[in-house]
Amino acid sequence: MGIFSKLAEWLGVKRKECNIVVVGLDNSGKTTILNKLKPDDSQTSDIVPTIGFNVENFSSKSLQFNAFDMSGQGRYRNLWEHYYKDCQGVIFVIDSADKLRMPVAKDELDQLIQHPDLVSKRVPVLFFANKMDHRDALSSVKCSTLLKLDEISNKPWHICASNAITGEGLDEGVNWLSDQIKSYLRDLERRRR
Amino acid sequence: MHGFRRDKKEEEDGSGSHSLLHLDKSSVLQEARATFNGTPVVARKCSHVLTKILMVLNQGEAIGKEEATETFFAITKLFQSRDQAVRRLVYVCIKDMASISNDVIIVTSSLTKDMTGKEDEWRAPAIRALCRITDAQMLQSIERLMKQAMVDKTPQVASAALTSSVHVARTNPEVVRRWLNEATEAASSSGEGLVQYHAIGLLYTARKHDKLAVRKLVSKHARIANRSSLACCLLIRIAAKALEEDDSVPNSGEMMDFIEGCLRHKSEMVIYEAARSLVGLNATNPKELAPAVSVLQLFCSSPKPTLRLAAVRTLSAAAAIQPAAVSACNLDLENLMSDGNRSVATLAMSTLLKTGGESSVERLVKQISSFMADIGDELKVEVVRAVRSLCEKFPRKASTLSATLAQMLRDEGGVEYKSALVDALIAVLHDDNDARNAALSHLCEFIEDCEHTSLATRVLHVLGREGPKTARPAAFIRYIYNRVILEAAAVRAAAVTALAQFGAHCPQLLPSILVLLRRCALDQDDEVRDRATLYIAIFQSEDQSLISSFISGEMHYSVTALEKSLKNYLKTSCSEEFDMKTVPIATPLEQGITSGSAPGSAPIEPVVARAKATVKEDPLEKVPQLAKYSPVFKSSGPLALTEALTEYTVSCVKHVTGSHVVLQFTCENTLTDQLLEDVWVQVEGDLEIVEIVNIDELKCGVQQSCYTVVELPDVDNLSSTFTLACTLKFKVRDCDPTTGEVDDGSYDDDYVLEDIEITVADHIQKVLKADWAAAWEELGPQNELEDTFALSAMNTLQEAVKQIHSFLGMQACERSDNVPEGRSAHTLLLAGVFRGGHAVLVRSRLALSNGVTMNLSVRSTDPRVSNLITQSVG
Ligand SMILES: Nc1nc2c(ncn2[C@@H]2O[C@H](COP(=O)(O)OP(=O)(O)OP(=O)(O)O)[C@@H](O)[C@H]2O)c(=O)[nH]1
Ligand SMILES: [Mg+2]
Repeated sequence: MGIFSKLAEWLGVKRKECNIVVVGLDNSGKTTILNKLKPDDSQTSDIVPTIGFNVENFSSKSLQFNAFDMSGQGRYRNLWEHYYKDCQGVIFVIDSADKLRMPVAKDELDQLIQHPDLVSKRVPVLFFANKMDHRDALSSVKCSTLLKLDEISNKPWHICASNAITGEGLDEGVNWLSDQIKSYLRDLERRRR
Repeated sequence: MHGFRRDKKEEEDGSGSHSLLHLDKSSVLQEARATFNGTPVVARKCSHVLTKILMVLNQGEAIGKEEATETFFAITKLFQSRDQAVRRLVYVCIKDMASISNDVIIVTSSLTKDMTGKEDEWRAPAIRALCRITDAQMLQSIERLMKQAMVDKTPQVASAALTSSVHVARTNPEVVRRWLNEATEAASSSGEGLVQYHAIGLLYTARKHDKLAVRKLVSKHARIANRSSLACCLLIRIAAKALEEDDSVPNSGEMMDFIEGCLRHKSEMVIYEAARSLVGLNATNPKELAPAVSVLQLFCSSPKPTLRLAAVRTLSAAAAIQPAAVSACNLDLENLMSDGNRSVATLAMSTLLKTGGESSVERLVKQISSFMADIGDELKVEVVRAVRSLCEKFPRKASTLSATLAQMLRDEGGVEYKSALVDALIAVLHDDNDARNAALSHLCEFIEDCEHTSLATRVLHVLGREGPKTARPAAFIRYIYNRVILEAAAVRAAAVTALAQFGAHCPQLLPSILVLLRRCALDQDDEVRDRATLYIAIFQSEDQSLISSFISGEMHYSVTALEKSLKNYLKTSCSEEFDMKTVPIATPLEQGITSGSAPGSAPIEPVVARAKATVKEDPLEKVPQLAKYSPVFKSSGPLALTEALTEYTVSCVKHVTGSHVVLQFTCENTLTDQLLEDVWVQVEGDLEIVEIVNIDELKCGVQQSCYTVVELPDVDNLSSTFTLACTLKFKVRDCDPTTGEVDDGSYDDDYVLEDIEITVADHIQKVLKADWAAAWEELGPQNELEDTFALSAMNTLQEAVKQIHSFLGMQACERSDNVPEGRSAHTLLLAGVFRGGHAVLVRSRLALSNGVTMNLSVRSTDPRVSNLITQSVG
């Protein structure tokens, strides 16, 4: 991705900016995923549990992302909502090897979907069924069943299996999200006119 | 900074009002939310709004928790901006909002990322913000980063980490103590001077309660050559402070050598700091001051005005303690009198006033007037003080000097300056009889045209006290009565009281005074009328004892305590009469402050009179359980119950109240591996414990007090001395000195302390009687007891006087505590008030004969008190 940003700059094309929130239970791999999405030269090797949040920047072919990487620990989860208001996309990361806490993840997801700041918006939600390399990892289909993703009606969503360490599956997800956000933004534009 | 630049421009344009003036809080907060929540954020606009928020915060406007939190979260969104100005303002806002918003820890990760990131400009401010938002529980998660930052090679980063740690140490000293290895490394780094300075500051803050560690700190870092000047100055201050607090610190010689060595440093800043510290250390002997004085002397001829000012200021302070040592600089000071800088010139002169001999007084004083016109009040006060101390030093010059003071009194000046002048004139009154009349008439003249009520009432009080003692008291009446006609109510009331004084002391004037008082009784002000009516009634009763207790007598009650007692009384149902005996007596020092009279009471020089607030608060009011014992009749000085540098140090202050003694034990735990709980002091002896207030938790290096209250028997059963054996009792919990982790289990332990004695002196408060003989007559011989003792252990009269004086804890009157040299007999006159409000006077006649023989007479309003005192001596 590094190349893109350089090339684009060079050509004078400025990509549109968008804000997304990255949520999910602690230890699910949010920070690791965002780290992998950044240009190689700004990746770090030292990832510690997040306290509060962090802003990370990365870009896809057509969009520049400001990602609010939230902390997934129990006592910080009620702070996610502060960042819902002006986001144009959500990444929800699931630790697909943590079967035990699936119901907890489901609970947090429900609260997110029904949150007043998001409930009436068609904000796209991307799910990463992360840690697919893990021995006990559930498939993305199994994850979506457990989280009852079918029941999400008013938002476009998509789930990909991913491996944050190698980067497998990340591009697919991000590409899907870029397209969705672009059409979401176009929609907003149109409605505003 | 976009915001600032734009404002600047607007200002220059003169178009419209300044955009940061008259900000409305809620519209700013509204604007903040709207601006920061947008995508993408516009840096220029954000900077401006952030500036506005800071402005609102700094105007001191109250912001509700909810509003604040909402704004805070909006600000956190700006972490997406990479604009330098925006980011730095964000850090500042985070710090300012840390205490008023909820959930500020949300920015922890963002800040830790910035402090370790590549952007150098962000690292230092991120560290400062991080330390502000991190509470005790979260500290552990940033420990590693803080330690790294302290030894970072970028000086700003290291400095930020070190200074922030100083702040953290205030609330969490035990955590910061684990970071000291890194701080020590930073302090020894050869690079940036500021880093060394900050590191030493941190090391000192963390260990300042540990005398041994402070000593090591100084001796370790003193040895490092090439130390930065700032760090060096700090080390000097640390060493000086340690020496000042306790010069029995082991190796105090080494610290002294270090400070003296700094007099030869290459940096002027360091040399000056060393000289200043040496002067501040109150060296008692001119030899010790000499090296400091000689470097200051060199500075006097420096081309830099700041150095000259610093030097002469310090010399002026030194002259107050050791005029002889400073007189070596007289020539330089003379030169400085013509310095272009007025402040330097004036200080030079006031210093010369202190150091010069009697012969130079007149010449210097003549120059004063040429100075006074164009210097500030602060310096004028300095000059007045110098003149005042001259009066004390050369009584023969007092008349000349008081004329000068009077001249100054006629000139313009603020209330502080005028009040220094009035004080000086009042001081002259006490010292010399020739000057007295002159000074009094200067004061009379002054109140003719005095705009300050407080000064006018003060002068009237003094006229009432001193006027009757002069040869022609009648001369003062006109001046005083003029005030009744011309002045504000408060001054009129004071004048009425002054008139009554003349009536009481000068019988020949009484008829005319009564006429004047009757006129005053028609005044339109209640207070004035009441006073006049009261005095008339008292005079008409012709009862001498009434007159002496309400008019001519002295009041020994502490005014602040009287006010407090009356307030407390009003809170009760007021069914019982108010008992004056419960009001604490003012110590002579306190009396001196209010009347400006007691010799040596008013501070002449700030350096000498450093510390020791005189009018103290009631120490018992602060502890809810003890308020019921208040007010305190007398508090002793602190008494060490352990030796210095033991595991636990305990000192005791005895607060004697109406019927109890509250023992305040100040304890310090110096063991880093112990946490003490439920700390209290058990006392065993003749007195019953009635209440105990213990210390719940005593961490290492912290000083806290526990209290034990014992009940005193009534005067009949009082013995002259009670001895109490003391034991410190506590529970110990072991803890790890490096991590601060505390064990679960605890065990009881105790520690034996020195005994405490409650002696006669504890029951007697000092009272200064200006006319001791009159007071003696007034008490009369009915309760007099007399006895003669042979004091075989004493060899000189002065020694005996000192012993008796301190044993009885009474005030020596009429300077009888000084034995003139070469005498073989002396009389010591003492005055005091016994707990419960009984006046006590003691006359002790001493004669030298194979040791000292003492004839002791005691008079008191209570025979039991006389008895107790004679018993206590024998
Ligand atoms: N095997 C494997 N490990 C992963 C993967 N993604 C993340 N991890 C590991 O999971 C741990 C947690 O990752 P983080 O990125 O810190 O998790 P997080 O969701 O940011 O956690 P919080 O910040 O506490 O909410 C780390 O040790 C990662 O190395 C993955 O795809 N496969
Ligand atoms: Mg994380």
